[in-house]
Amino acid sequence: MRRPSLIIGGLMLVTAFFWSTPFLWTLVASFRPQSAGGIGMASLVPDYVPTLGHFKEAFETGDFGVYYVNTAIVAFGILAVQIVTISLAGYAFARLSFPGRDFIFYVFLLQLMLVPPILIVPNLRTIVDLGLYGSLLGVMAPYFASAFGTFLMRQTFRQIPRDFEEAAVIDGAHWWQTLWHVLLPMAKPGLIAFSLVSLMAHWNEFLWPLMVLNEPSTQTLTIGLASFALGTEGGREWGLLAAGTLLVMFPLLALFAVFQRQFVNSFMFAGLKG
Amino acid sequence: MTSVAAAQTPPIDIAGRPRRTLRVRLARRTWPYLLLAPSLVLLAAFTYLPIARVAWESLHDRPHGTAKSLFVGLGNYAALFHDKAFIQSVINNLIYAVGTVPPSMALALLFALALQSSSRINAMLRAILLFPSMVPLVAAASLFFFIFLPGVGLADYYLAKIGVRGFNWLGDPDIALWSLIAITVWKNAGYYMLFYLAGLQTLPGEVLEAATIDGANGWQRLRHVIVPLLAPTTAFVLVIALINVLTQVDHVIVLTKGGPSNSTKLVLYYIFEQAHENFAAGKAAAASLLSVAFLLAMSIVSLKTMERGAHAAS
Amino acid sequence: MRWLSSLSAIAVALVAGAAQAQTKIDFFFPVPVDGKLAKEMTRLVKVYNDSQKDIAVTAVYTGSYDETKLKAQAAANAGKPPGLVLMSANFVLDLKLAGDIVSLEPLLKAENTTRLKFLDDFWPALWANATVDGELYAIPFQNSTPLLYYNKEHFKAAGLDPEKPPQTWAELVDAAKKLSTAEHTGFGLPEGYDYMGWIMEALCLSNGGRYYNEEYGGEVYYDTPTMLGAVQFVEDLVFKHRVMQQGVVEGPALSTNFLAGKVSMMLLSTGSLSFIRDNMKQAYGVAFVPRNLRNAVPIGGGSLVMFKGLADDQKAAAWKFAKWLSSTETLGGWSRFTGYFAPRKSSYDTAEMKDFMAKNPEAKVAIEQLPYAKPWFATYQTVAVRKALEDEVQAVLNGKKKAAQAVKDAQKNADTLMKPYADQTALKVP
Repeated sequence: MRRPSLIIGGLMLVTAFFWSTPFLWTLVASFRPQSAGGIGMASLVPDYVPTLGHFKEAFETGDFGVYYVNTAIVAFGILAVQIVTISLAGYAFARLSFPGRDFIFYVFLLQLMLVPPILIVPNLRTIVDLGLYGSLLGVMAPYFASAFGTFLMRQTFRQIPRDFEEAAVIDGAHWWQTLWHVLLPMAKPGLIAFSLVSLMAHWNEFLWPLMVLNEPSTQTLTIGLASFALGTEGGREWGLLAAGTLLVMFPLLALFAVFQRQFVNSFMFAGLKG
Repeated sequence: MTSVAAAQTPPIDIAGRPRRTLRVRLARRTWPYLLLAPSLVLLAAFTYLPIARVAWESLHDRPHGTAKSLFVGLGNYAALFHDKAFIQSVINNLIYAVGTVPPSMALALLFALALQSSSRINAMLRAILLFPSMVPLVAAASLFFFIFLPGVGLADYYLAKIGVRGFNWLGDPDIALWSLIAITVWKNAGYYMLFYLAGLQTLPGEVLEAATIDGANGWQRLRHVIVPLLAPTTAFVLVIALINVLTQVDHVIVLTKGGPSNSTKLVLYYIFEQAHENFAAGKAAAASLLSVAFLLAMSIVSLKTMERGAHAAS
Repeated sequence: MRWLSSLSAIAVALVAGAAQAQTKIDFFFPVPVDGKLAKEMTRLVKVYNDSQKDIAVTAVYTGSYDETKLKAQAAANAGKPPGLVLMSANFVLDLKLAGDIVSLEPLLKAENTTRLKFLDDFWPALWANATVDGELYAIPFQNSTPLLYYNKEHFKAAGLDPEKPPQTWAELVDAAKKLSTAEHTGFGLPEGYDYMGWIMEALCLSNGGRYYNEEYGGEVYYDTPTMLGAVQFVEDLVFKHRVMQQGVVEGPALSTNFLAGKVSMMLLSTGSLSFIRDNMKQAYGVAFVPRNLRNAVPIGGGSLVMFKGLADDQKAAAWKFAKWLSSTETLGGWSRFTGYFAPRKSSYDTAEMKDFMAKNPEAKVAIEQLPYAKPWFATYQTVAVRKALEDEVQAVLNGKKKAAQAVKDAQKNADTLMKPYADQTALKVP
């Protein structure tokens, strides 16, 4: 079956190239000397002498060290708590039957359908009442429960055949042992997918942190990036924006590279797929 | 669970069956709720409270310039359906939905199928496809602003090289919505691919092997085995995709602000506008509640249909 | 990080001893033009904080003008109003109507001064946007007017005198025709939401019109000969004279095109002057906005406002800070840094400013245009009423409507929007 996979492979490469043009441009533009204008600025070909000037400028203008730390605290902090809440809730929905289960599940889903305009004013009030205004914890709190994660875990658990758990129960395992030793390892692909999604979402979040945080020393990467690279009237310094974007994205890319291998290798653990 | 019961010798009732003690019965009945408790408490504070507030607001109107809030019952809802801008935003959203959901889901599945085995190249390709979701919006929007710049932008620059004159991608009301659709598919396809990849990993290998042994070729395997088995994943992605159609408007906010001439105004942007520019909080709340209700209905329908299909298939 | 800052706060408190009568206020500011403005503003605030011990201002960057408004309103509703906010100058009326901002009159009275005395040092064109119903609600902080930017090298290549930019609409069309080649278009306007409205006001004013009733927030003059002429002019630039690109072109797109030499002349804010100066490789010049009937331009920019819900000591602190922020020297420095012009006349009498003007003659043009400046339109539901016009003009730019129909529809929609206000005020007759 060599032929089809070559064709598919070729198609994927071409698609990937088109898909990555914005990224390629960002890469090229971040090293291009002339920042704000110039006819060839759209070129993907690095036809210039590269400069580190934009990166330097980005570091000088923005407190990247502080931004990185704050963003990491928020993203990883949220994820840590989420894994606990979603595993418990996902397990309950997938494996247990109790009155009102479906109803409560749909009520959970409501969180997915709400959007900033609805959430900002009331949540800010709640955060203020809890004494968390201006703090990173205030940014994190609304996300500790994740309907998305619960939903994903529910679907993932449902896809795992019950035989494994039944075997464990026969062996005398408590429910939490079943969850920890049997289900979660098998749900690893789902968990990792969720982790990536959650990290990316909260790493890149802009509006809610903007609303909660005040002190510059607490602000996150996206706020920092916006503060020096965006101008609503006038022009854009594309080179600086490109450099700043790369700086913001870099940890995510690194994270993804590491997680990816784990993600794909995880199926080997349970020996599910041949 | 069995261990708890096994720890004590249960009393025997009249018919000779073991009778659980009240404590055990209560424990068994409540602990699903205990598992859900942490999530529910958090959701109550940060989700249900806002919803309640929105519902309350949607029944009131505080005309701009006055200080009193009046109870208007369903007046806001009626006003919505008389508002041309709202109707236009609903139509725009429908077009947007049709333009984004099927293509991004189909692409996601195809990408996942093509890239599921682990190899260096596949890992790199996957990263490239997922990249769009990794770009922070503040940058992505500027990036696309640049790409779509008439004249010097990326799209027009390379189109010019092959002799095609570029369009005013974001400034022409006939094209602008499609440009946004393209951006959305670009952003979401890789993201949905992630879930299909996860779903594919949890498929039981024996069933696929059995199908191959039975003589099914690639296409048949796909249609009759893989797709049905992936029903829970598809249900998930469909719900997420539908929700995104109504809840992702960052690109509208940054790139077009609903223009030109309302051609890219999506429902959520309409809500933003009413709430923050037109000081019409009541109408905004009413529109928000309608979207939430609509999405909930769609989600329930999708889930029930897909999952019933999965049962039928397996 | 919070525990760390709490720890250091405690440490500082321990060491500092009893100097704790400090009033803390937040200052929300957007970054409207490109550049290191956020950093500069933060630096300025630090200078203020270091200069005195009674007030501690936290400088908070809050995104765009819209995001700033959103955050200020959300914070006020949550019980944590900011002491001072830098807002778009023409939002003051709507914010007052919404009950979000407070009148500054009590603070003026406490100092035994009046609005007229306070505003005296500010350019007259700025007074209307700072006042609502005869009370001071805002302090102008940074202002702009539109300017004509033009590429001198293109002028030379087209046989035009680079020192004689067009002064009338007729001259503009003439020059644009000569400047439209295969490489570049002759003329461009920023046509996205917000900018378009401002430019239309500029054109309408230059055509002898008023755009809106400066003394009553319930009337706009869209379906009038002056506005119709302006919209017709825009339509003709695209379709009759063919010197302007069809379709909507946003501000940053236009400036990027100008810098890339793809458009020879454009109308843009003086606020972009520093940006253009720093990035334009070819020789360029600036000039007054060309007139049809008269020279007249709207002002733009931002003003300082105080949100509701502040405690009395916070109000007093915010007022003190606002006065410092809007002092002659501070405004002068900010103007030189950003490209906005300083709202105070006295800022232009300082030595640094005179020096700066000598070195940057283009900045002078903006100042010279000031006597012709008029207030920025501000009505009931300013944004919606503005969009009513912008949507129509955008349709004209895309060839979907003709000017005559566009202004009629714009007027109709605007009137519907302002009707609730009119019913409560002008139309409420006994």
